[in-house]
Amino acid sequence: MAALKSSGVFSQEVIRQIQTKAATGLYEIRGFGTLRERRWATFDDLTFLPCSLTRIPLEGYREKCSTRTVLGTRFAKRPVQLDIPIMITGMSWGALSYNAKVALAKGAAEVGSSNTTGDGGMLSAERKNSRTLIYEVLPSRYGINIHHMRMADAIELTIGQGAKPGTGGLLLGSKVSDEIAKQRELPIGVDQRSPARHPDFLGPDDMIIKVEELREATDWEVPIFIKMGATRVYDDVKLAAKAGADVIVVDGMEGGTGASPSIFQEHTGIPTLAAVCEARQALQDIGLYGEVQLIIAGGIRDGVDAAKSIALGADACYIGTAALIGLNCNRPIYEEDYRALGAAPGACHHCHTGRCPVGIATQDADLMQRLDIDEAAERTRNLLHVMTLEIQMIARSCGKSDVHHLEPEDLVALTIEASATSGLPLAGTRRVFGR
Amino acid sequence: MRGETMVEIDATKCTTREINAEIRRQISENVREITVRHPGAKHNLGVALLQAVLLRIAGSVGYYCGALNDGATVEVEGSAGWGLAESMLSGMVRVRGDVGSGAAAALRGGTVVIHGDAAARLGASIKGGQVVVLGDCGHMAAFLGQQGTLVVCGDTGPAFADSMYATVCYVGGKIASLGTDAAVAPMDEGDVEKLERIFEYVPGPSTKSHPPASAFQKVVSERKLWNFEQREWRVWREAL
Repeated sequence: MAALKSSGVFSQEVIRQIQTKAATGLYEIRGFGTLRERRWATFDDLTFLPCSLTRIPLEGYREKCSTRTVLGTRFAKRPVQLDIPIMITGMSWGALSYNAKVALAKGAAEVGSSNTTGDGGMLSAERKNSRTLIYEVLPSRYGINIHHMRMADAIELTIGQGAKPGTGGLLLGSKVSDEIAKQRELPIGVDQRSPARHPDFLGPDDMIIKVEELREATDWEVPIFIKMGATRVYDDVKLAAKAGADVIVVDGMEGGTGASPSIFQEHTGIPTLAAVCEARQALQDIGLYGEVQLIIAGGIRDGVDAAKSIALGADACYIGTAALIGLNCNRPIYEEDYRALGAAPGACHHCHTGRCPVGIATQDADLMQRLDIDEAAERTRNLLHVMTLEIQMIARSCGKSDVHHLEPEDLVALTIEASATSGLPLAGTRRVFGR
Repeated sequence: MRGETMVEIDATKCTTREINAEIRRQISENVREITVRHPGAKHNLGVALLQAVLLRIAGSVGYYCGALNDGATVEVEGSAGWGLAESMLSGMVRVRGDVGSGAAAALRGGTVVIHGDAAARLGASIKGGQVVVLGDCGHMAAFLGQQGTLVVCGDTGPAFADSMYATVCYVGGKIASLGTDAAVAPMDEGDVEKLERIFEYVPGPSTKSHPPASAFQKVVSERKLWNFEQREWRVWREAL
């Protein structure tokens, strides 16, 4: 008798999806980010070439390796100055609980890093607990407030997001609590859909004017970031630079989200590795590499991913999902509540439900109390600290006294695909595939 | 200049930066009425004014005039480009001529009065305050409107009031077509009184007059698409 075998085309998961659509008439909305097995070239397909005879390493615990990071040197009077090159990306108060937002701000401040407001305006406690706060201006403009903007250390004009480029944000009704509805000027409990594009400019030509508006509103004091989901990165980066960005943020397809149709998370955008390589090439080709700083985001997990990004051309990295995991996301506690959601620790992507078992992606007061702000801030601090140490360890082993001295020559590719994507030679050869 | 309450700025050979810096300097010296002459349709004039001042602009302006305003009154004698008064918190912005797309986008408070016509996406994502257009408006006015009031005395373009939450719209002319999830609702006495109060913001000579408040149509959200668990597939098919 032949062994039972499921289809490679109509897998158990595909069958579940089809039958759910047929039963409900609804497409799937969920949080977290792509769940696909990564078969494309990633940072894991690159390896560093530390020093041996051709280069001299630095002593791990004795010789300094600077992590100081300066962003926005092109036009702003007051560039952002950070102690480390890892920053907390924009995640809204609404998608996240008050406790999570404040904890991220406190933890980032302790290690001299930044956090970002997100698609819901600024929380006073977030500003109070931040050392460096980046104020996002999104198509929705929820809670937009000129006074808050002028309290910020940088303005980020968001065009798109890596997990769902080309579409707007979502906040399902379970999270549109009294407070969030008031902050966003929405009816309580409505499923909030954000517009996909800004209401007052269309493309790069008039985005130049938008950037000037934000500079005028802040007296040219603070840098203007332009953030985009990674799609046609080479062209988009050139256009953003032309529009006057001080800093460009490119968010790859491995980036996370609080809620979006799952098809966007699984089938749109390009990987973060490809994005950083295209972005660097674009800036080099227009002579602005180094003048316009580059932040890379999208599935950055540890200091090694960050070090590889920096070696390939980034000035800094954003983390989002990793920061939430550091807070306790997917930790095996309150397991019965994971089960009630149809999830499990390590396999929970139910941020959209508002029933986050660990108090991060919720507006429920009881659930939120499970996240102690001070303890969570300490974990954020520790995570950012360790990631920075990891970057430093790699940099020292490559002979660099500054993490920003890491360069493509410090890396090789482990697969032909990674070589073609990154423009790095395949390990053991001097050949770059696809070039 | 110190101690004067009214000044004029000749913008003939000035950049936007220079004009705005001079406006801010004058405000810091307690000047409360400023007239900008020869604005040359420059962009970003009078952005982020945070005091109760009167800024008159003797001519036409480009994009984002009066944007991010909190408390100022901005009077534009000519026409305006895109994004007029976008994201304003409070105050008043009045344009005697026509305006480009995205006027009063993301408005959170205050009043915007447009004596001429408004182009597409008037009041997109409006969150509060009130907008009055004495002329016609273009495509998708009040798109994703959240709160606030939008009054169009003339005709609207297509897809009017598309995908709104709780903005209330009034139209004095013809509606080219309603947007997704928008519906005409009955006018009551409260609506008429509200409109009459709003029309008090339209004093002075105007090229266009508005119909009587009782002749307006009221447009609101039907609320069929407020929540994704709406399982009536015909509603979604019709809408999308």
